[in-house]
Amino acid sequence: MTQDAIVVENLSYHYGKILAVDHISFRVARQEILGFLGPNGAGKSTTVKVLTGQLRLQEGHATLLGMDIAQDIERVQARMGVCFEQPNLYEQMTALENLELFARLFDMKSFDGYALLKKVGLEGREKDRVANYSKGMKQRLMVARSLVNQAEILFLDEPTTGLDPVSADSIRNLILKERERGATVFLTTHDMWEADKLCDRVAFLNQGKIASLDTPHTLKQQYGQRSLVVEISRNGQLEERTVTLDKPETSETMRELFSREKVVTVHSQEATLEDIFLKVTGRRLTL
Amino acid sequence: MNAHLIMTLIKKDLTLFTRNRFYFIITIVGLVMYILMYFVMPKTMDETLKLGIYAPGMPSFENSLVSDRGIEAKSFTTLEELREAVMQNEYPAAIALPEDMLTQLATGQKPVVTVYFAASAPEEMKGAITALVNQLAYLATGQAILLEMQSEVLGPDLIGAQIPWRDRFIPMMAILIMGTEILSLASLISTEVEQNTVRALLVTPLKLRHLFTAKAILGIGLAFIQVLLFMIVVGGLSQEPLTMILGLFIGSVLITGLGFLVASLARDMMGVTTWGMIVTIIFFIPALGGMIPGMLSGWAKVLPSYHLTDAISRLSNYGASFHDISGHFLIMLGWSAAFAVIGIMTLGRRYR
Repeated sequence: MTQDAIVVENLSYHYGKILAVDHISFRVARQEILGFLGPNGAGKSTTVKVLTGQLRLQEGHATLLGMDIAQDIERVQARMGVCFEQPNLYEQMTALENLELFARLFDMKSFDGYALLKKVGLEGREKDRVANYSKGMKQRLMVARSLVNQAEILFLDEPTTGLDPVSADSIRNLILKERERGATVFLTTHDMWEADKLCDRVAFLNQGKIASLDTPHTLKQQYGQRSLVVEISRNGQLEERTVTLDKPETSETMRELFSREKVVTVHSQEATLEDIFLKVTGRRLTL
Repeated sequence: MNAHLIMTLIKKDLTLFTRNRFYFIITIVGLVMYILMYFVMPKTMDETLKLGIYAPGMPSFENSLVSDRGIEAKSFTTLEELREAVMQNEYPAAIALPEDMLTQLATGQKPVVTVYFAASAPEEMKGAITALVNQLAYLATGQAILLEMQSEVLGPDLIGAQIPWRDRFIPMMAILIMGTEILSLASLISTEVEQNTVRALLVTPLKLRHLFTAKAILGIGLAFIQVLLFMIVVGGLSQEPLTMILGLFIGSVLITGLGFLVASLARDMMGVTTWGMIVTIIFFIPALGGMIPGMLSGWAKVLPSYHLTDAISRLSNYGASFHDISGHFLIMLGWSAAFAVIGIMTLGRRYR
């Protein structure tokens, strides 16, 4: 099937007089992971809310899995999974009960809650009430809940926030496995490293508009500067020099450093998405 | 309407209800307590007759009545005080002798003695009072005399239909049991908003209409089952059982409407508690006042719960039929619809 999983054209959304999303257009291919990056208030959550049917489409057009969300949102919702940024679980129910509730809502006939909880590292705690879970455990349960219906499109809003590095990594692996299974992933995150590692493409959202959308590699090539960090020793003190690559004077600068200074280490350095975001939008992603 | 989705939600809400210790405990403890209260209360009336007397210009004779006749008498100095005491149910009966009774007797006239009865005075009291008045006249004059007696009932006339206190409490206890569920339902609804779980539900095939239907069924079910159980145990279904069951069901619908209203007024659990207490207290006023006929002020009759109280009271204690109280049912349904529509519309806007 070649049809794109998500097609958005000229989508706008107003909260009263405030324009939260300003005529954005993009497509997400099936089995693609799209990273939606932007600072708070950029319009990420509003876009997700519109696409998942939490907010009514005001302006523009959007189709998910070939279905118009203005007409068929209920059918679309049956085939999507949503992981919210803030935990919104039934705290007085167990993890298993939470998952089984949503499995029933999605009318999943053969659902194995234990297996899903094992996938997110919550085995052995299936029958504990969620109120007794740590923040990280709740976050993992949120991710598990979004996977209950084996969705074709996953909307994951900051899925690794608050997780320890090991747990975060297991969730990232799970996202990659979901893509392998056939899911399309719409990921919003502040974590540039995560976006770089997971996403096929990333969209920079700034003040309701998409400032740039491409693969991390292309963006780095287009906007980033490769450089070398050279550590030299002077009078027993270590100093750092940064030499920008791909410039006419680069070779001469390096030659001089090696001939005149005592070079201790040399490291290559690539531009980060954070740097590129700053370059493209003039704003930092994280404050 | 997808029954599978609604049943799933009801099951979930029942689980949450039983795990909310506060609401679960007050529900169970409340039900048990009201049943116990009913059986602890006396099922017979006090046989001592309290009698008010207004006898201007006559010697005080209450002491001669007290000792061996089971009568507790009190003289009043004005007729207004006497009437007020009867109106307030302090005295089930009172007699007022004319000021010139002795003169009338001396001139061969037949004095007119007025006997006042409280609304709740039993039928047998009439005969007893007639004999008593003659005895009083004998005590006053020292001879048997003929009197003309007129009687007046202060408040609704329930003479001959005296009801034990515990049966008078049935409507109040039924309404207290149901009223508790206003808070329980409002809490279940409000928690969905406060914990944002409603957002998670609404990105599944479940829609607001399913959510509200499930909450309404749960609210009606919780209130109805409890009050029905109570009425079965205390024998409240002995008269017009089908009409009573219908009344209790409509009362449960009213409770559910109020639950939605409270949930829509509150932004969080603190708001549910505050608004819930206000609404519940107002809801209970007719029940408290309705225990004693004539006690309820006129303004309380505009409260929706008045219709429920009066319907239960008249069905259980005064032999009313469906025809007598069908108007109450219609008014309750009207109020229920109004509360539910306001609540659901407000909540619907908030959920979106």
